[in-house]
Amino acid sequence: MLIYLLRRIIGAIPTVLGVALITFLLFNLVGGDPTYQMLGKHATAQQVAELRHEYGFDQPLITQFVDYLRQIVTFDFGRSYATKQQISAMISNGIGPSLTLAIPAFFVTTILAVVIALVVSYFRGRWVDKLGVVVCVVGMSLPSLAFILFGQYILAYQLGWFPISGWDNDFSDRWQYIAMPMLIWVLVSLGYDVRFFRTAILEETGQDYVRTARAKGLAEKVVFFKHVLKNSMVPIVTNVVLEIPLLVLGAFLLEGFFGIPGLGSITIDAVHNSDLPVLKAMTTLTSLLMIFGNLATDVVYTLVDPRVSLK
Amino acid sequence: MKPLLKVRWATVCVVLAMASSWVGCTRKSNDPPGTLHLALIEKIKGMDPAQADDLYAGNMVHLVYESLYQYHYLKRPYQIVPNLAAALPEISADGKTYTIKIKQGVLFQDDASFKASSCKGRELVADDIVYSLKRLADPKTVSSGWWVLEGKIVGLDDWRAASTKAGTTDYSAPVAGLKAVDRYTVQIQLVQRNYQFIYGLAMPFTGIVPREAVEAYGKEFLNHAVGTGPFKLTEYNPAAKLVFAKNPTYRDETYPSEGEAGDQEKGLLADAGKKLPFADKLVYTIYVESQPQWLTFMKGGLDATSIPKDNYAQAVTPTQGLTDEMKKLGVELHRSPSLDVTHETFNMADPVIGKNKLLRQALSTAYDPVPLLELFYNNRAIAAQGPIPPGLAGYDPAFKSPYRQFSVEKAKELLAKAGYPGGKGLAPIDYATVSSSTSRQMNEYFQKQMAAIGVQVKFNTYSWPEFQAAIKNRKGQMWGFAWGADYPDAENFLQLFYSKNTSPGPNDSNYSNPEFDRLYEKSLTLADSPERTALYVKMAQMVVEDCPWIMGVHRLNYGLTQKWLKNYKYHDIQHGIAKYLRVDPALKK
Repeated sequence: MLIYLLRRIIGAIPTVLGVALITFLLFNLVGGDPTYQMLGKHATAQQVAELRHEYGFDQPLITQFVDYLRQIVTFDFGRSYATKQQISAMISNGIGPSLTLAIPAFFVTTILAVVIALVVSYFRGRWVDKLGVVVCVVGMSLPSLAFILFGQYILAYQLGWFPISGWDNDFSDRWQYIAMPMLIWVLVSLGYDVRFFRTAILEETGQDYVRTARAKGLAEKVVFFKHVLKNSMVPIVTNVVLEIPLLVLGAFLLEGFFGIPGLGSITIDAVHNSDLPVLKAMTTLTSLLMIFGNLATDVVYTLVDPRVSLK
Repeated sequence: MKPLLKVRWATVCVVLAMASSWVGCTRKSNDPPGTLHLALIEKIKGMDPAQADDLYAGNMVHLVYESLYQYHYLKRPYQIVPNLAAALPEISADGKTYTIKIKQGVLFQDDASFKASSCKGRELVADDIVYSLKRLADPKTVSSGWWVLEGKIVGLDDWRAASTKAGTTDYSAPVAGLKAVDRYTVQIQLVQRNYQFIYGLAMPFTGIVPREAVEAYGKEFLNHAVGTGPFKLTEYNPAAKLVFAKNPTYRDETYPSEGEAGDQEKGLLADAGKKLPFADKLVYTIYVESQPQWLTFMKGGLDATSIPKDNYAQAVTPTQGLTDEMKKLGVELHRSPSLDVTHETFNMADPVIGKNKLLRQALSTAYDPVPLLELFYNNRAIAAQGPIPPGLAGYDPAFKSPYRQFSVEKAKELLAKAGYPGGKGLAPIDYATVSSSTSRQMNEYFQKQMAAIGVQVKFNTYSWPEFQAAIKNRKGQMWGFAWGADYPDAENFLQLFYSKNTSPGPNDSNYSNPEFDRLYEKSLTLADSPERTALYVKMAQMVVEDCPWIMGVHRLNYGLTQKWLKNYKYHDIQHGIAKYLRVDPALKK
């Protein structure tokens, strides 16, 4: 397995280089010149030239690209053009709040979705299943913004069950601010996950081995929980594991509305400001997380499906 | 599989148990009763005065750092008064030499960077003023506030150029026009008489910083705040919240004893002569979305708020009063014109638009300001007739621009005279714009108005930095923009038409008129006087006639304060006004 992992890691290098090249070209050629934004409304031609020199914007593109590759290797992307903050500090400060929201929300969603998918699949075609499907479709159809606006206005403002928004650096006081965005995360994600997991489970129930098991006279609960559930875990685990690394990137809308200082808004702010160093860092981070997610998925396959081996 | 499931079930039980304990919990507050809770609608760029180039960063910086001068909190028109300076500067007869005495006994806040005094803040001296102004000029500081001093102080531009050339900055190198005469006296020699110079000394850019802290924190200085101001930064999370506490070593500064007519009746002089600041603690929460800010205010969690566009009807009646819902809450409405102007800019460097005054006048006449005010500003603005906003000398409320009196007929007539009858022969106007929903809606409105006289408009949409780069590089024939005052003087608006400020300078329209330039340069040599005001009026009328802009609106500022917030008065240059605000804990209960 170690050799397999090494091979995959080496194989990821061209992918990272490709992402780096596309990111660089995209933002250097069409992303706009940040000089004017950095200098403000009283910029003069001389200041523009000085600043372009100071930041190396006047260097040939190839020199700038090589510098970018060096940053990827050292993971030192310098400072944000817009906020002047050290990018590593921006990311490390943002990861904690993002994960404080994302991890519990993700686990609650996954567990609830699996449980609900099992129940509706078990009662396939009956009213429980039909109700489940309808609720899922409704949940998927409503935009997350509607959940947020409703939650803040009714649950927080009118009923006072939660704070409207906010954040506390003290870990023990932070949970009150996380509760409602977490609830919204779960509600927004549940519909899609339940539908996906239900489909995966039902696909297994149509397999020949299930018919054989039933023909052998196995109890329905044994067929369902011992055989169907185990085999349907492969697509479920794939879906779940692939999502885990991306949790680090945060939830832009939820973080924005609930005042959570996570990573969600960093990329959006950087796009608006043509903040190339931040964009480079976030794109690199995202591609690395995706590669890691894919690798982790492959490894987890071997745990849930003995037929799979990594070579 | 089974152990895995067991772990998961255990996790869900813990999480649900925690969730149930969160629901219904109420927010604990350890804040002292006089704590001010205010909103920030943008993330700030840090606490370095040299980088405080927007309103929000400026507000935060001036809580901790102080400049030599400040604006009188209550008097209007705005008046410069001493802050760190002991008095207004003594100005030589030729208007070029400023001698400024600073207050004695002013202490920097205690900080670890003051190693020589065992972390105790030392006294601010004249050398700190010299250092801070040099630091603003230092190319390594990369400050967008350099324009405040650029070309104004004898020898400072040369000092900056030498630093750029050498690649290092020598702070010990003298600047002829900037020196500490003694421990408490600074002398500044100007290149030429400049009556606007003193405004720069009241801006956050010129907040006085201690050299020890700048050098100790290096590039991280922006995440520290070591000033002489009324508040001390105690919690700094630039993405969520900034908390300040009263500075225990703050000098004796008192609430003003004079204001303008009506201030006494409004209770704005009730605290006259009392020591500042009033609040023991300030909590600024960052709201990037307006709904949570609004709901928090309605719940009493914020002491003041602006009114989001979507909540305007909930707060203000069509007759500009408070709604019954707001009256029931006891909140107070504050309505005040802002020192700003929005405009549609004509690129005068463009061979078609720039050379045809009649064409510009036609387009201006065809653009109806009334629906613009209703559709996009909830009538929270007034139609601009010229570039100078109300509240500044040079604004004439009676003046009506002949090219802002909407008339399709007159516009068509002008268009025909311009050589494009019915718009024939005129290529679609190349209009640069930013990608936002509001811009799109305003563009559609503009397009419709122009179509009424047969003029086509083609939009080129950019991100904000691309847009700035485009207009600074003189691309496009038109674009929309706005200008907010840096200081309360019409010169700050008229410099937008001075030919030496063309792109990439602030004169984005690239307007050039030798007669305007002559009057502008003359106005710089004059103190605030009827003669200078007459020049401002004349220059504004020249601009209206030449029409490098379609005048847009002057926005009105609407804000709400809770009944327990005392001493609030809208201030255009609102940096650091929190020191005057007081919460009445008895009313807040």
